[in-house]
Amino acid sequence: MTAIKPDDNISELLKTDLNKGFRLVVEKYSSRLYWHIRRLVILHEDADDALQNTFINAWRSMGEFRNESSLYTWLYTIATNEALSLINKRKRNAAVSIDNLGEIFANSLEGNTWFDGDEAQLKLQNAILHLPDKQRIVFNLKYFDEMTYEEMSKVLKTSEGALKASYHHAVKKIERMLG
Amino acid sequence: MQKLNEIPDKNPFKVPENYFEDVNKKIISVTSGYDQKIKKIGLYNRVKPYLLIAASVTGFIILSYTAVNLLIPNRLTSQVSEAISDDYPETYINDIDIFTLEENVASMVPSEEGSEANKKDIIDYLLLENIEISDIYEQL
Repeated sequence: MTAIKPDDNISELLKTDLNKGFRLVVEKYSSRLYWHIRRLVILHEDADDALQNTFINAWRSMGEFRNESSLYTWLYTIATNEALSLINKRKRNAAVSIDNLGEIFANSLEGNTWFDGDEAQLKLQNAILHLPDKQRIVFNLKYFDEMTYEEMSKVLKTSEGALKASYHHAVKKIERMLG
Repeated sequence: MQKLNEIPDKNPFKVPENYFEDVNKKIISVTSGYDQKIKKIGLYNRVKPYLLIAASVTGFIILSYTAVNLLIPNRLTSQVSEAISDDYPETYINDIDIFTLEENVASMVPSEEGSEANKKDIIDYLLLENIEISDIYEQL
C-alpha cells in the first residue's frame, strides 16, 4: 500500500459544495479507513459499524475541520478512536482481562469467513493481536499503511520519538512470537 | 527467528462482494439525515460580541464619570485653600520673572507724588528677596 497524499482539491470543494466534497471524501478514503479499522477490530461486522460511525462523525464535524491537519490524518484519528472505542466496549462486554482479549481475537481468525490468509499470515496476525493496543496501532499504521512518523504523530497525538520506539518494540515482540 | 519481511505482503482479510460500493452509498445516505454540529448563527449571537463591548465601554464611562465627580470637587477645594493660604504671595513672587514683576510694580504705583517713596519700598523689598541690585536699577 502506498500513502495517500493530502488532497487540497477536496478540501477546497468541501468549502464550496459540502455534499459533493463529502461524497468524494467517502469514495477516496472509505477503503483505506476500513482496512485500518479491520486490522484493529478483526471482525468485518465490527469494522463495518466503526467505518460508518467514522464517516458520520466526520460529517457532523466537517464544519469544524479547518485544514489545520490534513483531511487524511484527521479521518485516521476519527477512525482510530472509533476502533478503540469498539474494542473497549468489547472488553467490557466480554468481561475478560485485557491480556486474554488478544487470544480471543486470534481464535476468531481461524475459520473466519472473511479471513483468507496462509499459515504465515495467520501467525503474523496472531502476533500482532497480542501486542498492547497502542503498539498494535503504531505497528499497523507503519507496516501496512506505510504512514510516516510525522503523519502518525498527528493521528495519535504522540511524539515521533515515542512512536519510533513503540514500533521498534512491536517489531521485536512480533519476531520473537513468530519464532 | 523468522523476519517480518519473509512474510508475503498480502492482505489476508476479505470483504463481501461490492462491499465498498455499497457501504459508500449507505454512508452518503445515512449522513444526509444527520445535521452538522455547526449551528446557524442567529442575529443575537452575531451581535452578542459587539453588545458586550458596548456594555463594557458604557460601564467604563459611567464609572469614570462617577469617579471624576466624586474626586474633582475635593481637588478644586484643596487648590483654592492652597491659593488663599499665606504662602501664596511668596510662591507667586519666586515663580515670576523680573519683567512681569516690574509691570506689576508700575501698575501698583498710584500717583506721581508717591512714586519715589513707593519705589524705595519696592527696591527694599526686592533686595530682601535677594534680587541682584544691578538688575533692579537697570529695570527702574
